[in-house]
Amino acid sequence: MIIYTCEDTLEDMMTCIYDAWASKLGHQNIRLMTEPIGNLELFCEYRHVPVNTQKAESVIRSIQNKISFSAYQCVYRCAMSCETNKLDVIYRFLLLGFTYGAGVMDMLQHPAVMSIFEINRKVTNESHLFREFTRFISMKGNVLTAHIEPKSDILTMLAPHFQDRMPSENWMIIDDNRRTAVVHPKDTDYYLTSLSQEEFHRLSNLEDTADPYVALWKNFFQTIGIKERKNPTCQRNHIPLWYRKHATEFQL
Amino acid sequence: MGDLRKSLSIGEKLEILADAAKYDVACTSSGVNRKGKSGSLGNSCAAGICHSFASDGRCVSLLKILQSNECVYDCKYCLNRSSNDRIRTTFTPEEVCQLVMEFYRRNYIEGLFLSSGVVKNPTYTMELMYRTLYMLRNQYHFNGYIHVKAIPNAPGELIEQIGYLADRMSINMELPTEDSLKKLAPHKTQNGILKPMEQIQNRIAAYRLTIGKDARMERSASNRYLSGTIFESPRKNIASNIYTPSRANTQLPVSYEKTFTQSGTNPLQSSISLSQPDINSLQHQVTSTKADKYSPVPFVPAGQSTQMIIGATSENDYQLLTTTQRLYQQFDLKRVFYSAYVPLNEDSALPSLDTTPPLLREHRLYQADWLLRYYGFHADDLLSADKPNFNVFLDPKCDWALRHLELFPMEVNKADYADLLKVPGIGIKSAMRIVNSRRSGQLTFDALKKMGIVLKRAKYFITCQGKMMYSIRIQEDFITRQLIGEDYKSSWDVEHPTTYKQLSLFDDMKKGAFQ
Ligand code: SF4
Repeated sequence: MIIYTCEDTLEDMMTCIYDAWASKLGHQNIRLMTEPIGNLELFCEYRHVPVNTQKAESVIRSIQNKISFSAYQCVYRCAMSCETNKLDVIYRFLLLGFTYGAGVMDMLQHPAVMSIFEINRKVTNESHLFREFTRFISMKGNVLTAHIEPKSDILTMLAPHFQDRMPSENWMIIDDNRRTAVVHPKDTDYYLTSLSQEEFHRLSNLEDTADPYVALWKNFFQTIGIKERKNPTCQRNHIPLWYRKHATEFQL
Repeated sequence: MGDLRKSLSIGEKLEILADAAKYDVACTSSGVNRKGKSGSLGNSCAAGICHSFASDGRCVSLLKILQSNECVYDCKYCLNRSSNDRIRTTFTPEEVCQLVMEFYRRNYIEGLFLSSGVVKNPTYTMELMYRTLYMLRNQYHFNGYIHVKAIPNAPGELIEQIGYLADRMSINMELPTEDSLKKLAPHKTQNGILKPMEQIQNRIAAYRLTIGKDARMERSASNRYLSGTIFESPRKNIASNIYTPSRANTQLPVSYEKTFTQSGTNPLQSSISLSQPDINSLQHQVTSTKADKYSPVPFVPAGQSTQMIIGATSENDYQLLTTTQRLYQQFDLKRVFYSAYVPLNEDSALPSLDTTPPLLREHRLYQADWLLRYYGFHADDLLSADKPNFNVFLDPKCDWALRHLELFPMEVNKADYADLLKVPGIGIKSAMRIVNSRRSGQLTFDALKKMGIVLKRAKYFITCQGKMMYSIRIQEDFITRQLIGEDYKSSWDVEHPTTYKQLSLFDDMKKGAFQ
């Protein structure tokens, strides 16, 4: 078994798919994985694939032209997932897609399609949850800052949503775990950037803890529940404890 | 009291006016897509976005507040009724605007839900609310979602003006019959509620026609695969719904023959006699609107809703569901909400203070409402004068299926979309998945499971390639006992909410139920 490995970015993954495909080793004899590799397996040969923009672009183009744009979106979202087998899932899906074309999106009972849809659904759900639960605090200088810790890398799925609704505000959303941020200066386009340790700390210190609307919101939130209908389990099902970490209304 | 009012801080006011607003059910931000624009704050997503979930598990999407909790009316069930001794306060338009803008910027909310007690009189109140919304849209440039309540008996001009600033409007039905209204909301009349409701409906239709849409609101896209839904012309006895002048003042229980045509001042007079708006007269109206404005300003683009209180009066489920269906058909409402009665006041006309809210009944009504809007059912399919209440033990769809066993088992590889929807355990999404995916091969039980079909329900009603999942006899008693066993836990949980688990009665209902 040959295992093709690459770094965990879209470009790397697309390049990896290109090389794995071109190897002509037989699809059943290879597997694809993103790094870091957890447990190395015996009798497997690991081949690291370095990123190559041209190869990556050619794969992306093929997906869009030979399958469909919605298949590409599906692949993109899957690539942002935190599942360790995602790259192989994408590869198996593409094998089928290049054979059947756009119709592959309807082949829901095929295991390869089921798997990518499953991951796709998780990522979409997660990015939707963060549209709901991301909270900004107002920092000095009138910049709105949010911290999130999503499992999937959803910043680029989240940013367009906020760009549309807050075009004339300065804001940024920081992925605390990946140390990446989308930054949106008012009335311009947002950009994705990675934060150095130092920048990250400087940002944390700037936060204005005296934001008066925090208390008003918490108070509103406490008031709006009907005690005769109190239902903590239902509340927990909708907003899992894990998502509450950065939600203002759940902070003490 | 006057002094006290002045000394209240914004936080105290917010607490009082949110507390007084919380019994209103609707908090959704759905129904309209609107892009953001430079210089403004906010956009809107048709699917709606919840921002949090309160301690009662209900979604928090909008800043739900009253403009004022002062009220000259005395609805028995309401905390704000004039006969209650409470601290009264009123938000200024500026205060509301600031809260909305600052909450929205922090992504706490999707927008504003503004209701109010009746301060002085309906006109004064509506004017105050109008000023608030006008300021919010035009001075603060708020472009997010606004749901505003129409105050019963408010003048038509104000309803119209405010409708151009809001995404959704609603006026509460409160109770389904005139008698109940008289008993519990002595200052309200069906006429005072239905008249603004109809006015809003006509304005919405007129606006929709100017932008080239159908006069009636869009319904679920999947409804196009169904025939004879409640949204098409009523399938039977249309005549009974037609208004005839001689019946102008006859109020039939659970019946909304429009009775307020006597005024004669409404230019749309001729169009309100039918259960469907008369397109021609609306178009006439549209031309005159077009003459004044080049691009039409949206009027309540997310549609109109209403709500009814469940369990404060003696109406049965059949009456409530029939009323619901008529509200959809005759007023083209986008949603009808139910609110289980929560006892707040001691009053001889009301259930006693220790009454627990009828949550299971409310839940059954929501399930049935869902069946009307998405599954092609009619109120008469589910309930009848002989069987006027929902089965406590079974959800309405299972209950229906058990009474129609002759239709089952159904072969999932062949049945059409409309028939699949009738199978307990198959929802609109999974039915669509079945139809799409079986084109590329026969389906197995395993594949069905992965597609989200709830087999523990569906297994009694379907075959896959000619075989049932287990050899089960299609026998009513047996299946009923099995399904009740399945349903028991979830029914019990609804009534005992501190142990509530996610209900999976319809796989696609979960979040959507309260939108
Ligand atoms: S009109 Fe009736 S329901 Fe509305 S606030 Fe006044 S008393 Fe309450």
